[in-house]
Amino acid sequence: MTEQILLTTTVGSFPKPPYLAEARRKHARKQIDAGEFRDLERRATEEWIRRQEEIGVDILVDGEMYRGDMVAYFADQMDGFAIPGLVRSYGNRYYPKPAVVAPVGRRGPITVEWWSYAQSLTALPVKGMLTGPYTIAEWSFNEHYPTRRELVLELARAIHDEAVDLERAGARYIQIDEPAIHTRPDADFDLAVEAMEIVTQGLKAYTISHVCYGDVPRIYPAMLRLAVDQLDLALKNEEYALLETFKSPKFTKDIGLGVLDAHSHRTETPEEVVDGIRRTLKVIPLPQVYVTPDCGLKTRTIDETVAKLTSMVEGARRVRKELSR
Amino acid sequence: MKTTVVGSYPKIPDPPAPGRWRTSVEKLQRGEITAEDMRRVEEEVTADVLAEMDRAGIDIVTDGQIRWEDGQTYFTRGLGGFSINGLQRYFDTNVYFRQPIAVGETRWRAPISIADYTFAAARSRRPVKPVVSGPFTLAVLSRDEFYGNQDQFVMALASSLNQELRALAAAGAPVIQVDEPGLLTHRDRFPLFRRAMDALWDGVTAERALYTYFGDVDGLYPAILDLPVDILGLDFVAGAQNWDVLRKAKFTKQLGLGIVDARNTRMETPEAVEAACRRAAEFVPADHLHVGPSAGLEFLPRKVAQRKLEVLAAGARRFREGAA
Repeated sequence: MTEQILLTTTVGSFPKPPYLAEARRKHARKQIDAGEFRDLERRATEEWIRRQEEIGVDILVDGEMYRGDMVAYFADQMDGFAIPGLVRSYGNRYYPKPAVVAPVGRRGPITVEWWSYAQSLTALPVKGMLTGPYTIAEWSFNEHYPTRRELVLELARAIHDEAVDLERAGARYIQIDEPAIHTRPDADFDLAVEAMEIVTQGLKAYTISHVCYGDVPRIYPAMLRLAVDQLDLALKNEEYALLETFKSPKFTKDIGLGVLDAHSHRTETPEEVVDGIRRTLKVIPLPQVYVTPDCGLKTRTIDETVAKLTSMVEGARRVRKELSR
Repeated sequence: MKTTVVGSYPKIPDPPAPGRWRTSVEKLQRGEITAEDMRRVEEEVTADVLAEMDRAGIDIVTDGQIRWEDGQTYFTRGLGGFSINGLQRYFDTNVYFRQPIAVGETRWRAPISIADYTFAAARSRRPVKPVVSGPFTLAVLSRDEFYGNQDQFVMALASSLNQELRALAAAGAPVIQVDEPGLLTHRDRFPLFRRAMDALWDGVTAERALYTYFGDVDGLYPAILDLPVDILGLDFVAGAQNWDVLRKAKFTKQLGLGIVDARNTRMETPEAVEAACRRAAEFVPADHLHVGPSAGLEFLPRKVAQRKLEVLAAGARRFREGAA
């Protein structure tokens, strides 16, 4: 049973290969047709499935080869959204911020086809990957709903339907990303909790929420109220400082333990990963710990990503071996 | 009454128009153009923005802060004693800035924004209002590794920036705006804030505007009226509560009435702007009103920002005609 402890996974996104980045540009300029473009997205997805298998990751992702922005991807496929233009995030980074201009809702399944394709390529479980209602609302303009609350709850019902469809298609793991959840920790964390209850209600799949960027201690222990099995968090980029926070009160959920800094070029060594897991096991019991990068890896190169994940898997294996002795 | 803006403006047009500023930054990073070329692009974009505000009918304009990477970097880079670090979220927005770290003594060495101000003033038919990031907010958003004491850090920034305000006034700025949204997230530090404002505005001969946004001034009012400023700019969108707060005591300053939502694409109507002006005119003389957006407009796509300014000006016209 030692293989069942310290399962390894990733947060969702992987870098797009250069041929796909090029194809995306051409597709935007209508220089290649949709079928050809789609074939390249499928090819890149299959490559990432194979890489994860070769590295030895336990719970796979499709790598999000077909997504641009994590909010715009959902907004594009749902009713009620428009993209009024680009807004600046920082430096010269701009993104297409969606605007809610009418009642929001699903036209049909959003992620199921890609999930099914990825799952068809492997015997290992592939996670369903959703952006959470609070984050979609927070990172969109709201022209339609009188209050943020109404928008968040309507989105929660739509994302719930998507989660149900993923589960029906066979997904055993469903992740709901909420990187914006601590934007207004005092004013409406209760709303974020209420929304997550709607999203995961009645699901039998194992549920995960990824939270990153921002003041996690501010929302602890309130975040333990989120209706998911696992909270996936960035520990490595602050050298496990969060473990102090998680000592008291106790961390009662499973943790997706971020052991790789997603925004540094340097490859962590397996020893660093071992050390991080050991330190964590002093605070959080072994059966609750899953091993993962801090965040999506799409801003790394493919080589950096493979090297980092190889260290992660090797580090987790070493700790498993120690514990089985 | 006057129409005005709070500061920033989108740097690039909406697609498919080419975002010249954005592509130039990329070229600069790749070494394909020089810093001098980049400066020319920024000047051209600034001139476009000034013309756009003029066409929209804004009475007192800004240069749109086209040259600002963000509100913190622009000034702390010019002051001594800071290094510029990693990305941080700007209040409750989805905008990020590079966090300044105080690593040495903060000192005003040379003018930071004067050349930009004089450029804009020379290119604009309308009066240009320079904007300076306030010492308190700069301290709140920075990390202090030098002073070890927030009071000292804030006061050092205040006396440094006092030099900048004096230089702006000497360069001919008729009015100077200082932005202090950080006050609203640290209300308990108002005594320190008051001392910082005294030091900051000391000997500054231009008209003085202090702007807060992203919230209301509940708990700070009416004490905030004692600050040595002429115009108090408030956010009546995120801080809709300000309508009630201001009833608690007679409002004795000119009012920056931030009523057009700078953080949502939902479009106001001229009628709504007019109604807000009327409502404000119940407790502030109409000629003491500076009606504008709730914050800088760079949270919006360019066309939406432009349209909001047109609606603002149309609403103000209706109010003036109705009042006459």
